[in-house]
Amino acid sequence: MSEAVTPIPALATPAELERVPLVANQRSFGWISDQVAAIVEGKTPRWWWAVFIPSVLAFLILPAMLLYQITTGVGVWGNAHPVMWGWDIINFVWWIGIGHAGTLISAILFLLRQRWRTAVNRAAEAMTIFAVMCAGIYPALHVGRVWFDWWLFPIPTANGLWPQFRSPLMWDVFAVSTYFTVSVLFWYIGLVPDLAVMRDRAKTKLRKIGYGLFALGWRGSNRHWSNYEKAYLILAGLSTPLVLSVHSIVSLDFAVSQLPGWHSTIFPPYFVAGAIFSGFGMVLTLLIPLRKWCKLEDLITMRHIDLMCKVTLATGSIMGYAYAMESFIAWYSGSPYERFAFINRAVGPFAWGYWIMISCNVVVPQLFWFKRFRQNLALVWVLAILVNVGMWFERFVIIVVSLHREFIPANWSYYLPTWVDVLTYLGTFGLFFTFFLLFLRFLPMIAISELKGVIPQADPHHPLGGAREGGHQ
Amino acid sequence: MDSPVNLPNGLVGPDYWRSLDQLADTPQFRRWVEREFPAGASELADPVSRRHFVKIMSASFLLAGLGVTGCRRPVEKIQPFSKLPENYVHGVPQFYATARPTRDSAVPLVVKSNDGRPTKIEGNPLHPDSNGATDSFTQASILNLYDPDRAQRFLQAGKAVTREAALDALREIAAAFGGIYQGLGAGGAADPGASKVGGQGLCFLLERSNSPSRARLQTLIREKLPQARWFIHEPVDFDIHRQAATQAFGKPVRPCFRYDAAKVIVSLDCDFLGAEPDAHVSIRRFVKGRRLTGSSDAMSRLYAAEALFTLTGANADHRLRLPASQVFNLAVQLAAKVTGEALRADDLPASLVDPHWLDECAKDLLAHKGAALVVAGHRQPLAVHLLAHAMNVALGGVGKTVTLHEAPEPTEGSLADLAGALEAGAVDTLVILDSNPVYTAPADLEWPKTLRKAKAVIRLGAYEDETAALCDLHLPMAHYLESWGDARTADGTLVPIQPLIEPLFGGMTELEVLARLGGLDTTNPYDLVRATFRALAGEGEDTWKRFLHDGWLADRASTPMEVEFNRPAVAKLLSEAMFIPAPSADRLEVVIHRDASVDDGRYNNNGWLQELPDPVTKMTWENVVLLSPATAAHFGLDIRDRENNDLQVPLVKIEAGGRVVVGPAWIQPGLADHVVALALGYGREKSGRVGSKAGYDAYRLRTAASPHLLSGAKLTPTGARHKLATTQNHCAMEGRPVVREATLAEYRENPRFVQGMNLPEPEAAKDAAGRPLPLYPNPLDVPDANGVTPRDKALHQWGLSIDLNACVGCSACVVACQSENNIPIVGKDQVRRNREMHWVRVDRYYAGDSTNPQAVTQPMFCLHCESAPCESVCPVNATVHDEEGLNVMAYNRCVGTRYCSNNCPFKVRRFNFFDYHRRPLEELVGPVYSTPLTSSTDGEWDLIRWLKNPDQGKRPGEEWELLKLVKNPDVTVRMRGVMEKCTYCVQRIEQAKIARKVQAGPSGDIEVPDGTVQTACQQVCPAEAITFGNIKDPQSAVSRQKALDRNYTVLEFLAVKPRTTYLARVRNPNPALPGGKDPTLLSQEYLEKNPPLPEGHAPAARGNRSHGTPTPAGKGDH
Repeated sequence: MSEAVTPIPALATPAELERVPLVANQRSFGWISDQVAAIVEGKTPRWWWAVFIPSVLAFLILPAMLLYQITTGVGVWGNAHPVMWGWDIINFVWWIGIGHAGTLISAILFLLRQRWRTAVNRAAEAMTIFAVMCAGIYPALHVGRVWFDWWLFPIPTANGLWPQFRSPLMWDVFAVSTYFTVSVLFWYIGLVPDLAVMRDRAKTKLRKIGYGLFALGWRGSNRHWSNYEKAYLILAGLSTPLVLSVHSIVSLDFAVSQLPGWHSTIFPPYFVAGAIFSGFGMVLTLLIPLRKWCKLEDLITMRHIDLMCKVTLATGSIMGYAYAMESFIAWYSGSPYERFAFINRAVGPFAWGYWIMISCNVVVPQLFWFKRFRQNLALVWVLAILVNVGMWFERFVIIVVSLHREFIPANWSYYLPTWVDVLTYLGTFGLFFTFFLLFLRFLPMIAISELKGVIPQADPHHPLGGAREGGHQ
Repeated sequence: MDSPVNLPNGLVGPDYWRSLDQLADTPQFRRWVEREFPAGASELADPVSRRHFVKIMSASFLLAGLGVTGCRRPVEKIQPFSKLPENYVHGVPQFYATARPTRDSAVPLVVKSNDGRPTKIEGNPLHPDSNGATDSFTQASILNLYDPDRAQRFLQAGKAVTREAALDALREIAAAFGGIYQGLGAGGAADPGASKVGGQGLCFLLERSNSPSRARLQTLIREKLPQARWFIHEPVDFDIHRQAATQAFGKPVRPCFRYDAAKVIVSLDCDFLGAEPDAHVSIRRFVKGRRLTGSSDAMSRLYAAEALFTLTGANADHRLRLPASQVFNLAVQLAAKVTGEALRADDLPASLVDPHWLDECAKDLLAHKGAALVVAGHRQPLAVHLLAHAMNVALGGVGKTVTLHEAPEPTEGSLADLAGALEAGAVDTLVILDSNPVYTAPADLEWPKTLRKAKAVIRLGAYEDETAALCDLHLPMAHYLESWGDARTADGTLVPIQPLIEPLFGGMTELEVLARLGGLDTTNPYDLVRATFRALAGEGEDTWKRFLHDGWLADRASTPMEVEFNRPAVAKLLSEAMFIPAPSADRLEVVIHRDASVDDGRYNNNGWLQELPDPVTKMTWENVVLLSPATAAHFGLDIRDRENNDLQVPLVKIEAGGRVVVGPAWIQPGLADHVVALALGYGREKSGRVGSKAGYDAYRLRTAASPHLLSGAKLTPTGARHKLATTQNHCAMEGRPVVREATLAEYRENPRFVQGMNLPEPEAAKDAAGRPLPLYPNPLDVPDANGVTPRDKALHQWGLSIDLNACVGCSACVVACQSENNIPIVGKDQVRRNREMHWVRVDRYYAGDSTNPQAVTQPMFCLHCESAPCESVCPVNATVHDEEGLNVMAYNRCVGTRYCSNNCPFKVRRFNFFDYHRRPLEELVGPVYSTPLTSSTDGEWDLIRWLKNPDQGKRPGEEWELLKLVKNPDVTVRMRGVMEKCTYCVQRIEQAKIARKVQAGPSGDIEVPDGTVQTACQQVCPAEAITFGNIKDPQSAVSRQKALDRNYTVLEFLAVKPRTTYLARVRNPNPALPGGKDPTLLSQEYLEKNPPLPEGHAPAARGNRSHGTPTPAGKGDH
């Protein structure tokens, strides 16, 4: 073998690397419209009912639990001295984090001209809105006297009392409510042309009126498109800083305090990265089964999955870096209290939480270095769920594990949630999935008009009207 | 034309206007109004005027408010005084001197009364043997007054009867025994009437008391009914002190220990800081001997040999853990060395005590002749007490460190005697006053059976308890704040017991019942007490008035007696004493002790005390079976400890003398091995709603012969588990300098050692003058336009100092604060979840290994940081700073985000997770807490009840009314969902400021003089460990405390600038003993975790701290 001379390969022109088209199988405009609209117009599929019924049942638990908590007291939860924030704030931050991917995909990727976003942005934005709704429940209802929540808003009253603008909770009120408002607007503006499509396709009077109302008289004229594109761009521009600000501000709830494990300047970027990480995890969790059930494999292609896996890998690695940096700073600070907080995370009574966090957030995404794993849908789906588990535990570690053992050892204590905590959390899942499934059945889950703009046929130079087969851009 | 009233035209003469409206309707009038009142004129013309609108709106708001929020106050009918009582100013509290009687003493008191209801108990500072301090029992006793579970009915054969009927029954009995028998006696119809003459068959069972009035009544009744017999039962009896002194000195005397006069104190299982009588007086004396104002001051040294880990042991410089049975052995050896003669040496068994320890202890005692004191605890047998007296005599302590006061020999029989009489059928009618023998009698007397051998049982009791259930006639007993009485304190002064309120439930006093049964002429308790006082202090009305005003009177009983040691008698008694073999794992030793919270069970239904953490174990709501770590390991007992949450421990069975008790095991570091400690007072079968179902009943193991100590007990784990509620379960300080401690030698070498334990403060930006600038300027230091800061402007800047060297950890401050500040109890389930509401907590840390640790205590409450981290994070400004430096809580503004608590480094804020004030405790037993949506009270749906009266809560109506009476009207009662914390008793500060302003008048000198404002915790503190005052005044007591070199700030590096600072603790070990030269175990732990940094890397002082090489913790025999 060693003597065998490998012949010098003939000089050949390397094949031009082809971009994988954003829509597979050269689907036509009409196919896309039909396929997406079919989810709304067709018969309710069985899988939909199979998911919807448990979701509604879970959703019903939520008002029951909240009513119980409001009439009885916050004590029905596991929050206790010294862990005054427990599952309430963990779940708040977790849901807010999930609510990140949608607007990131629709706004930042839009501004960055990442055209692959068009297949996933609508569903991701819907996810964002419902996640922020779930999140918003917690800070509003975790307080001791819910009926005075309005004191957190700067309303001029006769008693001349204002909220305290130094408090990060105050900033939260502004950040979350602004984020929610802008996200809803952005989502709705993007929906307008598609609502018109649905209106035009509608066969029943009710649908015509319903979609017609919300389509705001869209006729697809050039002027409409021109105004629409401008509005969309402006909203994308507005949303972009909000994506970064909302979780930065949520992180300030912790960073501004002086608790070891909370008091850290790395928190804003690290929280944003974590939010994107968990948001993409949730998008993957939702879209992998949906593309199959709704037969959208040609629209949400393996390339989309692949790209989202890469974002997850990148943000997961940022998380790993942040964890390492946090621990380094704790050591470097020289403060025994800071050091202890981080040692306690790794080896204290809640070490199991810490190691779940590390394995799910740092170790698991490393599998996405390999294309093999990125292409294995079942695996990606499982890993995406693990990412969300990991991110839940990250908030658990930050909130509960920092609080349960801090400065004065006499206060140290364990934290245990109650059944009400668990059921309330389950209830928010019910809310999320109920709304998401209703969204699937009543609104086009993929931006039809936008998607048509990125298929090759839309290119005037495409052979089917212009350029080479399968290619574009 | 020119009408005098300037009326418009046309309105003169007979054309009178009939109404104002008619008048107002004329155009002339309108014009006139417009001319005169142009601003208001439009109102008449406008059909919907502003006034009209407001009228309508207010009416509709009122209607809307009826259902929802408008009606915050319940409608209450008030009856005004038709004639104002003298000296009564509405809303201004009045104070009366009274006293709480204890077993053989009394606590002199001044009680605050608001509109005729007592609300707060304080010590009487005028009393010569008091600094105005009290103990936790006294503080909490006010809650018993308003206890809805108190006996409220007169019961005859288990049925409620009228007061008159009950009094008739009493009269009949009195008549029967008084010789005018008419066949109406209780069940005695068959007996010939003559046999009852002179009280034959009549027995009285009493508790101990040193009330002169009771003694006088007893004498009177004895004269009238010479055949009547008297017995005394006291479940935890301190009479052993008197017995021993009487035996040792051959005169009827009792000892009084002067811990302040002693330089060296040896405690032989004597928990004089906790379980012994008048502990609050002992604490004060003890601390007086140890108070340090500088490093050159001397302090006393305490050696404690004990089986349990008590507060005395925690405060000892050398603690020797020893089974209680072996203390006699130790005492014999120590006495031999101290007295120089062997009082009992013939058959001394092998001792567990290191002879070196004994030698050095004896040497130390002998080196301080005249200033040495040996005390023996009430659980120890007579022999140990006699040896202690022998040592005190040899050390020249008699008359100096121990004084002896006259104490008449009691003539009453014991409970065992009564049992004998009952067995013999010699008891016709048994009268039980206050005592609860069915619960508290030694198990071997089988009291429930024995009791019913009497033909009739009459009982006066505060509760319808175990004994009440077996009585023929039960009378409700008045609380001491409801009745007249008298008593003597330990120093012999006479104190009055004045009522502050009419008996709430028509209860009677002991004196009244005795007088009625004795058929005395007068049964009015006031007259009885007044008559006694006349006999003691003469006729003078002025003396009486002064007595009531000052609350005490000195007479002959308070002067110490001259005595001589009766050596032969002591030697004889000693030779009779038996040595008990040391316990082993198969033959455990059971120590049955008084509980720090509920005493012998008398405070069992007191929620404040039930929830008061035991000063050492920090256990609440029940008693536990205490075991040393080694003993627990031997029996394979593991405690499922999730760091103070969901604590689950194994249930163990203790078997001794054929009797069995099952209780939850708890590992107590520092307990002697093979010792099982059981606390009395729990496991009540019939108690109120608070106390029933709590703990196990240790009385079931007790014998009359040896009430405190049982040998040869067996322990078997049952395999079951039990949930416990403790307030602190992380016991190590983790090397953090939270409590700072040094030995006296170290302190002398480096008086500023506390500063060396500071962490470097973060570097801050500096202003032009080089002063550090905070990130957020302290609002107290922000100058106004004239350059004056609020700190300069305010007259007072409040601050507080806690001397950890004085604090012994008695926890009276916790209850005092609870009483002063309307702090609710939360119940066992909530304590298990760390939701207790105490504003003051006393942290207890162990240092060293768990076999023989040292313990320190630290009271912790809101430190009122100047840059308070809680304030900046509150989104609604509910916690803010006032210009006098208080961190104030606006409860009404709090929405309950709990962020302030998260950001508080000291975690001193408490959150109302439920409506603790308004919810019955049984509803706080999770995990499903009752919601008003589904529950009902008094047969009414709670939601409807709430709509009708949102303030009432879910407690039944009567209970709610009683509960309101105990509240301090000057402090807001917090609802659920709000955060609360120590306010430095802001209500007292404000009262003092107002009083000062009134007093100052035009002089304008409104600065409150130092010492005028006392916080509740400060006022109650027997150790005077807490000093509060104006730190702006450099001469104030608190400023002087803060200027001491031991002053430090907890977590000083956070730069939150707390107004509460601590003075470091100093231990005074004997350098000649092993470990005596080492740093304290706490310092060793600190040094291990914070090794001195190289030069230039740390605050210079840390390196300066002198210490030996840290020895492994716990090796030294401390």
